[in-house]
Order: sequence, then structure tokens, then C-alpha cells
Amino acid sequence: MSVFLPALLNWLLAYGYPVIWLTIYVASAGFPIPSALVLLAAGAFAQAGDFNIFLLAPLAITASVSGDSTGYYIGRRWGSKVIDWLETSRWNRFISASAIERGRVRFKRQAGWAVFLTRFLFPALGGIVNLLAGADPFPYRYFLPCDIFGEILSAVIPLSLGYAFGASWEAVGDVLGSFSVFALALLVASILASYLLRTARRLKLEEARRVKGPGAIQTRSSGATITDSSRRTSGNLPLS
Amino acid sequence: MNVRVKSVILGVLLCLALGATIVAAVTTFKAIQQFRQERALTASGDVSTIRPWMTVPFIAHVYHVPENYLYQSLRISNPQPVRHATLRVLADRSNRPVNDVIHDLQKAILIYRKQHSWSGPPMHTGQLNGAPRAPGRENS
Repeated sequence: MSVFLPALLNWLLAYGYPVIWLTIYVASAGFPIPSALVLLAAGAFAQAGDFNIFLLAPLAITASVSGDSTGYYIGRRWGSKVIDWLETSRWNRFISASAIERGRVRFKRQAGWAVFLTRFLFPALGGIVNLLAGADPFPYRYFLPCDIFGEILSAVIPLSLGYAFGASWEAVGDVLGSFSVFALALLVASILASYLLRTARRLKLEEARRVKGPGAIQTRSSGATITDSSRRTSGNLPLS
Repeated sequence: MNVRVKSVILGVLLCLALGATIVAAVTTFKAIQQFRQERALTASGDVSTIRPWMTVPFIAHVYHVPENYLYQSLRISNPQPVRHATLRVLADRSNRPVNDVIHDLQKAILIYRKQHSWSGPPMHTGQLNGAPRAPGRENS
């Protein structure tokens, strides 16, 4: 259990709905608070009659959308300046300006999915994605619907699981948390695998070009079957 | 960066990511097993599943015991102000370790069941205040 959680649960029970709203808002704005666990606990207490589940769901959705919008605004206000500084600063020797530009283009292409998926599947990245979406900037009129759909899932899933499994909500939280880490690791592994395949293909092409030399292109275009450089090798290079 | 060096770095990172994926998959599987175990214990009314975050009304709801009976077992005469207090808060207020409070409640539930011929699922009492639980949950 998180360090904050016992204190959060005490406040949640003592002050009710306002504390839930505030907790979810602060967590969505980017602070490391386990909002999914708070929602699971709230669902469990709703089963025992302490809260109304039909009130909790809209409360959680509005709080998280407001928190995400705050993160987006912070990104828009200061994030773009930070990225511009990174691109131009001579102190930044770790990330090249071209790499930042490539990242920007790629993020713009996938921003909708990034916003949607980080709401419920990779919640640990939600705060950073909000800042990036604001800094890029990903238009707010596209950000908001992706955010709302994602947040509906991120509120309804833990609330209903907490409501269904009651006293076992902690164990459900462990399952959700470890599944999220698994999904993230799998995503990173598949992205790296696709990069590796692309790099291997480039390496193969480069090697073929190096072994054949400039003469190979000339000979192939003139219709000859073999080149000087390929004759020197074992002859198993792709000539076609 | 040289393409060969880049592919070696990518290969190492991929191995690390695959390792992390396997570890996460095993952790998820274990968490599911733990959840099923805990769910079975709760469903059978095992008192060892009482946790410091629970309130007395919550325990009364889960273990089908009257709230007032539980308050009496904790020697609380006026329950209204502490209705929303967790066991941890109750323990702090009475300057007792939270495990003592849990132990008192477990004993009270077992006595209540004996007196009122428990009609729920087969009762597993586990060990009072010390049944198997996930590591790190002891103080949660």
C-alpha cells in the first residue's frame, strides 16, 4: 500500500466527496497520488453504503478531466518554452534538435491515442502526456474528447471493481497495477523490436552497398550478372 | 551514430524490456492468484482479512455482525462521532496498537458466530490477526 493511502482513506471517510474530488484532481494534474486505489476503496465503501456509486462516477470523471486540463494548460503555458529552450540551448548535449523535432512530429501523429491510453492503461504516464500535449500543442478540441473517453474508463473500471469485490479491493489494486506495468513493458519491447528490425534492415543494406561498391550499381543497371566486388566475395549476396 | 553500434544498443535495450515484460507477467499472475486467495477467504468469512483501513460499519457489513455489538466489543459507548473512523484512527485515539483493535474485533466476531449459529459459507477462522497475507500488507 502506498505511503499516502492510509492518510487519504482517513480523509476520504472523514470528509467524503470533496476529498475524493480533490484527490483525483491533484492526481490527474500530475502529482504521484494513487488515484486508482482511492477509487477502488471508494467503490468498496460504496458497497457498504458509505457512498453513492452513481454520484462517485461523475465526480471522479469531472475531477480527472479538470486535473488533466490543468496539466494541459501548464504544458501550454510553460512546456513549449522548455522544449524551445532544449532545441536551441547549447547546454543541452544529450538530445539533438533534430531528435526533438522527430519526437514532436511522432507525438503529433499519435497524440490522440497517447492521451486516451494513458488515462486508464498507463496512468503513470498521464501527467507527462498532458504536459506534452499542451506544449506541442495538440489542439484542445481534440485533446478533450480523447481525455473524456479515457477518463470515463479510468473512473468506471476501478469504481465498479471496488464495488464488486469490496473488502478485496487492495488485491484488485495489485492486479491492476502489475497489469499496467506488464502492458507498458510489452509496449516498450514491441517499439524497440520494430526499431531494431528497421536498424537491422538498414545495416544489411549498408553492408550490401559497401561490399558491392559503386561498380555494382553501374553493372546492374547495364544488365550484367556479376560485379568485380561481388566476385571477390563468396557470391551469396542478393544480386536481384 | 554508427548503425552497428545503434543496433547493439537497441538489442541490449530490447533484452532488458523483454526481461521486464516477463517479470511483470509473473508479478501479474501472482497478483491474480493472491486476489483469488483473498477473495475466497473474504467470501468464507475469514476474520483474518480484517484490515486497518476498515471502519466498524464496513466490518459489520462484510462479516454480517451488528455494528453495535462490535462497538461494544471495543468499549465504545457513543459510536456516532467515530462512525467513519478507520480502525487505525480508533487505535490512535485509544492509544493502542492497531493489531490489538483488530484482534478484539476478530475475537468478538468469532464469539458472535458461536452464539448465533453461523449460517454463512464454511467458516475458516485462520489465525487470529495473523492469517496468510501478502507481504507488506501487515501495516497497511
